[in-house]
Amino acid sequence: MEVEGEVELKELCRLEGHTDRVWSLAWNPAAGGDGVPAVLASCSGDKTVRIWRQNLAADSWDCTAVLDETHTRTVRSCAWSPSGRLLATASFDATTAIWENVGDDFECVSTLEGHENEVKSVSWNASGSLLATCSRDKSVWIWEVQSDGSEYDCVSVLQGHTQDVKMVQWHPVSDVLVSVSYDNSIKVWAEDGDIDDWRCVQTLEESSGGHTSTVWALSFNSNGDKMATCSDDLTLKIWDTSGSFQIIDDGHSPWRHICTLSGYHHRTLFSVDWSREGIIATGAADDAIRLFVEDKHSPIDRPSYKMILKKEKAHEMDVNAVRWNPKDPRLLASASDDGSIKIWQCSC
Amino acid sequence: MSEKFSPALRLADLNDFIAPSQGCIVSLQGGKTKQERVENAGSKPPQTDPVKISLKDCLACSGCITSAETVMLEKQSLDEFLSQINSEKAVIVSLSPQSRASLAAYFNLSPSQVFRKLTTFLKGMGVKAVFDTSCSRDISLIESCNEFISRYKQNHVNDGREHGSSIPMLSSACPGWICYAEKTLGSYILPYISSVKSPQQAMGAAIKHHICEKMGIRPESIYHVTVMPCYDKKLEAARDDFVFSVDHDGEGRLTPAELRIPEVDSVLTSGEILDLIQSSSVDFESLAEAPLDKLLTNVDEEGCLFGVNGGSGGYAETVFRHAAKKLFGKELPGPLDFRILRNADLQELTLEVEGEVVLRFALCYGFRNLQNIVRKIKIRKCDYHFIEIMACPSGCLNGGGQLKPKTGQTVKEAIQSLQVLYMQDVAVADPFDNPIVKGLYDEWLRFPGSETAKKYMHTGYHPVLKSVSSNLQSW
Repeated sequence: MEVEGEVELKELCRLEGHTDRVWSLAWNPAAGGDGVPAVLASCSGDKTVRIWRQNLAADSWDCTAVLDETHTRTVRSCAWSPSGRLLATASFDATTAIWENVGDDFECVSTLEGHENEVKSVSWNASGSLLATCSRDKSVWIWEVQSDGSEYDCVSVLQGHTQDVKMVQWHPVSDVLVSVSYDNSIKVWAEDGDIDDWRCVQTLEESSGGHTSTVWALSFNSNGDKMATCSDDLTLKIWDTSGSFQIIDDGHSPWRHICTLSGYHHRTLFSVDWSREGIIATGAADDAIRLFVEDKHSPIDRPSYKMILKKEKAHEMDVNAVRWNPKDPRLLASASDDGSIKIWQCSC
Repeated sequence: MSEKFSPALRLADLNDFIAPSQGCIVSLQGGKTKQERVENAGSKPPQTDPVKISLKDCLACSGCITSAETVMLEKQSLDEFLSQINSEKAVIVSLSPQSRASLAAYFNLSPSQVFRKLTTFLKGMGVKAVFDTSCSRDISLIESCNEFISRYKQNHVNDGREHGSSIPMLSSACPGWICYAEKTLGSYILPYISSVKSPQQAMGAAIKHHICEKMGIRPESIYHVTVMPCYDKKLEAARDDFVFSVDHDGEGRLTPAELRIPEVDSVLTSGEILDLIQSSSVDFESLAEAPLDKLLTNVDEEGCLFGVNGGSGGYAETVFRHAAKKLFGKELPGPLDFRILRNADLQELTLEVEGEVVLRFALCYGFRNLQNIVRKIKIRKCDYHFIEIMACPSGCLNGGGQLKPKTGQTVKEAIQSLQVLYMQDVAVADPFDNPIVKGLYDEWLRFPGSETAKKYMHTGYHPVLKSVSSNLQSW
């Protein structure tokens, strides 16, 4: 996007309710926009998930549900199915719970067991037919949703990372999964018809321009030809899969490193999110939120990115998650170790 | 190295490899140069004192202190094998048919040729006898058939009124699966697992409890080595359940430590046997083909090898045929109709009587399929009567101890060629018709499921409680 004039991040609301650090956020993709209230899920070290709904009349946010008494430890990650009907929650109790949303009620319809220990992240594919989870047990699991969403079959257990897997995220268009890990690597997974299973089709590590410390998170741009990753090595890296003429085995066009944004962060980057309009937000251990955009003046073959905003003291403690609303791309939510969630309006 | 373990064991954290020279420290931050962010406040500060651990500790621990691998390799290595050959002990080698096939593929020989040449090779080194675990496997199969019939009947008695834990019966030959079930799944799954020993342990029991007498050797004077397609088999051999004490007429000549005898002293993989061959100056292909040791080898009068179909031991197929005959009077002479379900590693076999399915069996290989079966059992939605479970995708022919595919060959192609080669010059035979096995029942075990058979050919499983150390690393 073209940025003109002053960029601002205005705090609209501070959501209080969690009694421990807030780990992750997920906007319901089926809610929000066109006079429909937006819905946000948050999960926390207090073992609960909270559902927040925008109150358009009162210009506020209401907590409409608290999902508790299911997970016995920290809920680390949450993700809505594309239809917004199901919410998956990943917990340090080694399970992933599936909640069905009926009206304002949420019923736990399934619990996925199998990981040896803490589940760190959960993600639905674009069609909602597959679910991926990852864990400190170093594995990535792919589950296939059966019939109505209450039955799940494990279709693959992927062991390639050598350490804790921090996050999994499906590509926004194709059934390609990306995982990032404490082993500093980014792995790309795809189904291989020859072996009737999934396998790692690409590993991005230091030698391929990758990170030199824990990779905490990743985010795709809206059409999925670019990916941003953030790390404990204090950098944000941009990867590109478009315009690559080289095809690695069976049709996967490989990701290549195109840009490293260093010098902007002086503490670990925990979260990255790429808005529909092309603004990349980061959340970091220095309590700040930063926004980046592609520099339109950079050469076409060597794109670069520039920081357009640094919001100091966005929270009182580490910013664990930043998420742009999918319907209203100027609406940003952030979650922090300070136990709060903030809703921001970005204007530029 | 740790990748040689089955996927189940790799997930169960047996591969957090720290060499014993580093002290196998319980400190779970050992080796890390940076502090990962603590996601779980309130966990105990990790210990820092090194703690020595043994293979037994590894097997008894639900968390992971370390890999058992290095500990194991000291006791179950080629070096140890060579030193035993030069000792006063009688070394007996039992070769698995899967290892035979893997070596046959490597040398472009038939299974029978490999068996005979390997016999020549090993005896040249000083090995006393070379046996065939297809033979002891026939005992495992017969005992499994018998166990299934009684479980099926017991289930029928309880039918609809109470949930027993007799059906489905889960096969027990895969040590990766057993270890995973004990360490991770725990007590709810264990009652479903067949109590029958694996072919490796059945062979160990037969040799050290019975055949040794025929050979005129005391069990403690035998060093019994199996050759397996699988690294996990080393863990199986080290299980406490498979170590026994001998009673020497109460003379008390031996110290207690010397009285503890494992059924299987050491397990070498197919790959390690190839290393042994290659480290000698012998041209393996040109070795003479020795006669086979018929005492515990499936070889007929004409010198032809025989055994059951199925690269993972043929458990589902054998028990299915037996159950169809015993329970429903159906002889099934032809090939069975295995139907591929979600993938080639999940297959189903059913028997219908008057339009109703009366037997529903499955092959379930690989960790992902295993997960779904376990999940269904847990929520009581599993409608199989018997499941042949193997932790490795494609089963035992694809075990972690097998030789790598030839250059230019994909894993899939390698497995397909092994499946063909596996029975290349091996005649398909019903375990109940095996004359050696019949002899063993007549003179020793009496009949399938007898008290003697239960004593020597069956075992038990133990849930491993989550230890403090396994929770220490939770952040």
